[in-house]
Amino acid sequence: MMGEWEASFGMLQSSAIWLYILKGTLFTVIISAIAVILGVVFGSILALVRNYCHSPKYRIFRWAAITYIEVFRNTPLLLWIFICVVFCPVPDLFAHRMFGLTTVETTLLFKACIALILFTSSVIAEIVRGGLNSVPAGQFEAAASQGFNTVQTMVYIILPQAYRNVVPTLLSQIITTIKDSSYLANVATIELMSRVRQILSTANIYNGTGNINVSDVFVLYGCAAAIYFIINFALSLIVRRINAQRKKAASTYRIVKA
Amino acid sequence: MLKDVNLHVKEGEKMVIVGPSGSGKSTTVRCMNYLEVPTSGKVIIDGEEMTVRNHTKLVRRTTSMVFQQFNLYPHLDVMHNLTLAPVKLHGVSVKEAEETARHYLEVVGLSDKAHVYPTTLSGGQQQRIAIARALCAKTKIILFDEPTSALDPETIQEVLDVMVKLAEESNITMVIVTHEMGFARQVADRIVFMEDGMIIEEGTPDHFFNHTENERVKKFLGKILRH
Repeated sequence: MMGEWEASFGMLQSSAIWLYILKGTLFTVIISAIAVILGVVFGSILALVRNYCHSPKYRIFRWAAITYIEVFRNTPLLLWIFICVVFCPVPDLFAHRMFGLTTVETTLLFKACIALILFTSSVIAEIVRGGLNSVPAGQFEAAASQGFNTVQTMVYIILPQAYRNVVPTLLSQIITTIKDSSYLANVATIELMSRVRQILSTANIYNGTGNINVSDVFVLYGCAAAIYFIINFALSLIVRRINAQRKKAASTYRIVKA
Repeated sequence: MLKDVNLHVKEGEKMVIVGPSGSGKSTTVRCMNYLEVPTSGKVIIDGEEMTVRNHTKLVRRTTSMVFQQFNLYPHLDVMHNLTLAPVKLHGVSVKEAEETARHYLEVVGLSDKAHVYPTTLSGGQQQRIAIARALCAKTKIILFDEPTSALDPETIQEVLDVMVKLAEESNITMVIVTHEMGFARQVADRIVFMEDGMIIEEGTPDHFFNHTENERVKKFLGKILRH
């Protein structure tokens, strides 16, 4: 029995395995960062359309945005990963070897990323919308009274305030997205969780006992848990610090009577 | 809301609109820069009729506004509040816009506040910054929508002082909605009294305060001026 545990921990002394896992971690972080960045871009567009396209001419876009947001927010990410893997087209630009990955891997990675981006966009759209709604009507009036048109008003006055209001929520969303990206393991892409699963499925070769043991599951998944925890806990400490700073800054402002 | 309001404001005129709450004073000035879209009737500035199509550019060129709630941009410091519109809308260089801004900060007596954020200022100071912001656009017309109604009593005077100075020293057309009768008497070329969306009396301050025949105005003044 002790032998199995020793064999399992023994795997962790292999630098090849560590490199494999750490590369997976890097992919996890990169995929999540891309998903959040593009999520902010698309989410903002969705939020703006949902909030402000009221005129009859553009109402169709508003309904499209509402449908998109509600559909993606109320269905599981895993479903969209499976759907994208089957139906999502991959442009030639991505369908070849890169970053030391095979064509099959880059293709799957691209599809799964699209699913994550689509899903994250809908969540971030609602976060941004919360930020937009917290900007007082007077700001729109001030902008209009100075002669800013709708786009200028959004770019220079409303969106900066909206983003400032939701910085903590957006940062927390990065943490959620990093965790969500583990769903990608289900379609055998190359991020942290799938790599850990791949090592586990071939652990009989690496641990030297010829079998895959319960202790291997424990050690490898423990490893994955530890890595996710370290990244996300570090991020949440940063979020906490930013929140504390904002609170401090806000309390030094004199409260103005409304 | 408004019924049959017919106002002609001359260039350089200081017009004060008074009246009880809900009488349509604010709506009237807000129609002048299209914050309220008139359901019928016309707003004509400089001979140009304001329409859905041209209102943004016409407003940009001709009018500025000072609000009851100041509505400064909280994400920008005072200097950027003052230079945003000139730089982004009027094509003024940053350097020139900042020079103008410094000049008007001096006019409102807040030269030392150029680099603080609006929320750190008192209400009176914020409103003076808002007036400076309106001045920086260098428009011929400035609309004031109850500029002192949201202020602490002790800071009202500093804002009124700035407005009196403007009224006396500049050729800017000012349309002012206010409840400050002393101020109205001091700066107005013409006072307009509104009730229920209608103009029921207009005239010089002397006529309005001393010689009006209108019973409703007399009653209003009686209530306001008693104390």
